[in-house]
Amino acid sequence: MSDSESVYSNYGIYDVNENLQLSLPNTEIKIDKIGENAFSYYRKNSDGKIIEKMIPVKSDEIKIELAPIPPLNHPARRTGHVFLKFDREIYLSENSAASIFVHCPIEIGIFLINGSNRESLDCVTCNSLNSRFGLYGSPDTGTLCKYAQVSLATGYDDSIPYIEGVLKIIMENTLSSGQTIDKVVFPITKNSFYYEDSKTIIDGIKIILKKRAVVNIVDVKSVAIETDWTVSPTWEATTVRTSVEMESEQCL
Amino acid sequence: MPLELLQNLSEMQIVGELTVLSLLIGGIIMAGGVILAKIAKLLFHKYYAPTLPKDTAKNLSKLIYFGIIVISFLGFTSSQGIDLSGIMVAGGIFAVVIGFATQSVVSNLISGVFLIIEKPAKHGDTIELPDMGISGTLLDIGTFSSKIRKFDGTVIRIPNEKFFTSNIRSLTISTARRADAMVGISYKDDIENAISVIKNEILVTMPFVLHVPEPEFRVEELGDSSVNIQVFVWHPKDDWSQTQPILLSTIKRALDNAGIEIPFPQRVVWDAKD
Repeated sequence: MSDSESVYSNYGIYDVNENLQLSLPNTEIKIDKIGENAFSYYRKNSDGKIIEKMIPVKSDEIKIELAPIPPLNHPARRTGHVFLKFDREIYLSENSAASIFVHCPIEIGIFLINGSNRESLDCVTCNSLNSRFGLYGSPDTGTLCKYAQVSLATGYDDSIPYIEGVLKIIMENTLSSGQTIDKVVFPITKNSFYYEDSKTIIDGIKIILKKRAVVNIVDVKSVAIETDWTVSPTWEATTVRTSVEMESEQCL
Repeated sequence: MPLELLQNLSEMQIVGELTVLSLLIGGIIMAGGVILAKIAKLLFHKYYAPTLPKDTAKNLSKLIYFGIIVISFLGFTSSQGIDLSGIMVAGGIFAVVIGFATQSVVSNLISGVFLIIEKPAKHGDTIELPDMGISGTLLDIGTFSSKIRKFDGTVIRIPNEKFFTSNIRSLTISTARRADAMVGISYKDDIENAISVIKNEILVTMPFVLHVPEPEFRVEELGDSSVNIQVFVWHPKDDWSQTQPILLSTIKRALDNAGIEIPFPQRVVWDAKD
């Protein structure tokens, strides 16, 4: 796949024989052949931060995949949960159900294709000002989440390229009184991401408000979507193990 | 020849049924046990410890090492044909005598056991002992003492009894922590505007500050020279270094860019003639 006519590069698989330049909002990526079996990877953000890596390979060319991934890595990997605060509250009457589409922030992963494996090379966010954390619950027992204020979407086509994907939320209120929902917190690592051109859609979630004994609870489950869009590879955080004499040390 | 040597050794009695040969066998069992314990500890550290939490790995390592030593000792005693029941009785009386003589040592040992059971802090936690003015990373809870690596890199050893009975403040047990700073602005500047520029600067330039709960501002004092504002921000427990040390400089930068004065101490002087 080559660069599209638009300013920015689409998601997808790229063959790199000599060099490749990818352009994303606020981000510039270059991959160059520097030797017989080595490539260099260069990434520059809008804040001037530069990442450079050398990729030794066995063949003359490499394949790279650009794909959306869960927004969990910037500014640092601290959690697998996201906290989506809706820009407006949603009121569910007693014993009723509704489904909505919401925007959800994404990050972009750069993967090195090694046979049938996708190896995590780098990840970027094109919206660093909104890559922030929030706490759900109390400071001592709460859950640290990636936080975003999100707006409702009109449908899967309403994805904002490179910045936000669209996710469907099915809400069901089985309680005997109306309930207002203004946020949702869930582990996004269980949801697959899909892409086509520069747009992203995400596996949905089902929220059921129900009673367990005398307690009202919210049950959140992932709901896979049926689509012919390409599924993104799974982003794995880089793990480094080093041995120092008699003691082994693990760094993430 | 070797068989004759062994037979001679078995006939050389030391005391009671204890012979040189049995002592030799016992020594070999103990030595083998120590070597086996060291090998087991090394293999555990190499292959299993990296996959476990640090405190669990340390405790299991000690359990494996001393467990094999104890089993070897039991093997040693049974190889000597030693009847332990008499030793147990004598040992009990001896323990009472020793207990009175070594109260603090025993207290340290018991406190160490309680520390491992109760776990007010575990290996790798960042803790503070306010009573002793010590803070750092807990490296190990040993048999009689615990080790803390202070932030200056030095290691301090604390007797377990002192550690267990002192106040322990854990800096990494909570999910989030709060950083704070105080800044004074001039009386002529608008407080709401100052708070607004500080908040914007924090939310834009400090990525580890939580948006929920959002930064909090309190007018703490109408001081002699300035209006003093206390700023509170929350951050993930592991990111103190990305927040507290740079909070004040971020606030100053925001105020400087907005032209808001941080006043020097000042006095208003009225001339009596006026």
